[in-house]
Amino acid sequence: MNYLTDRVGLGWRPDLAVGILEHLDGIDLLEVIADDFFSAPHRQIRALKTLAAQIPVVLHGVSLGLASSVPVETKRLDQMARLFDQIRPEFWSEHLAFVRAGGIEIGHLAAPPRSSASVDAAASNLHRAQAAVGAKPLVENIATLIDPPASTLSESDWIAGILSSSDCSLLLDLHNVLANGLNHGYNPIEFVRKIPPERITAIHIAGGKFVSAPDGTQRLLDDHFHDVPDPVFDLLEETAARAPSPLTVILERDGDYPSMDSLLAQIVQARCALAKGRARRAQTVEVLA
Amino acid sequence: MSASQLEAFLARLYVDADARANFKADPRAESQKAGLSEEQCAALEKLDWIGLEMAARSFARKRQSKRRLTWFAALKARLSRLRFPRFVHYGFYNSRNNLKRKKTSRPKNP
Repeated sequence: MNYLTDRVGLGWRPDLAVGILEHLDGIDLLEVIADDFFSAPHRQIRALKTLAAQIPVVLHGVSLGLASSVPVETKRLDQMARLFDQIRPEFWSEHLAFVRAGGIEIGHLAAPPRSSASVDAAASNLHRAQAAVGAKPLVENIATLIDPPASTLSESDWIAGILSSSDCSLLLDLHNVLANGLNHGYNPIEFVRKIPPERITAIHIAGGKFVSAPDGTQRLLDDHFHDVPDPVFDLLEETAARAPSPLTVILERDGDYPSMDSLLAQIVQARCALAKGRARRAQTVEVLA
Repeated sequence: MSASQLEAFLARLYVDADARANFKADPRAESQKAGLSEEQCAALEKLDWIGLEMAARSFARKRQSKRRLTWFAALKARLSRLRFPRFVHYGFYNSRNNLKRKKTSRPKNP
């Protein structure tokens, strides 16, 4: 990498373990799903600590529901805090989503209505999370097949509002930006340009598939079962051209696993996109100077 | 009315096909029944129906795959905690070895 300490890593999945351990020299860091270890036996925690001693590890939560309008349960925050203490990751992250409400578990990340009330609720949850865990989480934008009803703010304004109220950094998921842009009719590049660049410190890249809607149109589903498409690398270049901080990029893959060579090739492609973006940024900075 | 009531209403629409059908038949009545504000009811009438159905299907798949994983993880954890009493273990081991020894034992020198 040629710009400060930009890094590209991979999401740790048990199915990829052998390949990852064989190719640690080609992977800068690993992102571990925290929830998989909340009630793990001691020997699994020990194994994770051993892994963290070999390569930088970051924790990623998927079930806290930090953008919920009700306070996150203390029990869940305590689980994250305990794991954070045990593993001592470089950072931890969670989604700007709600995953349960009124006693109903949705089972996945749902987008809350975007309003000033949900900005305040998310900021309050983020303060509680920081107090419980002892470190601010990075917050991630989610993909949604339905534009949340009763929204009064655009997605970029809503995210910027939460970042500003909570003083948190952003884990920008570029495939989610692409999917929401295509599904809800906005330009993904313009979206990236509207996000405060100084808040972007980490990035997710992934692939998805088009699914047919009952009306014959198609929507992009963010399933992490496919290779990273070229438009996501274009968005990565754009982000690298704007963000002043070093970026941590994580390639996510959750199924239909390809060969390790294919995943490593996508990591290399991400490094190329970062390098291109950083070169553009260097030129802009020179012109401004 | 509160944002939490709206989230709870949406959560029910995402997981319950009957609730979706009732809502589609009469959006205003269903949202009023849930105690939502006039503003929220009006917003829900303009809901993206196709997006709702697609999101509900996607959430259902996720819940199903999690249930499968949870079941498998529970079984794996249970099996890994199983400990045979030592005498059973050794008994099994020794009886197998004895069996092998018997089968492969050479005839004594005459």
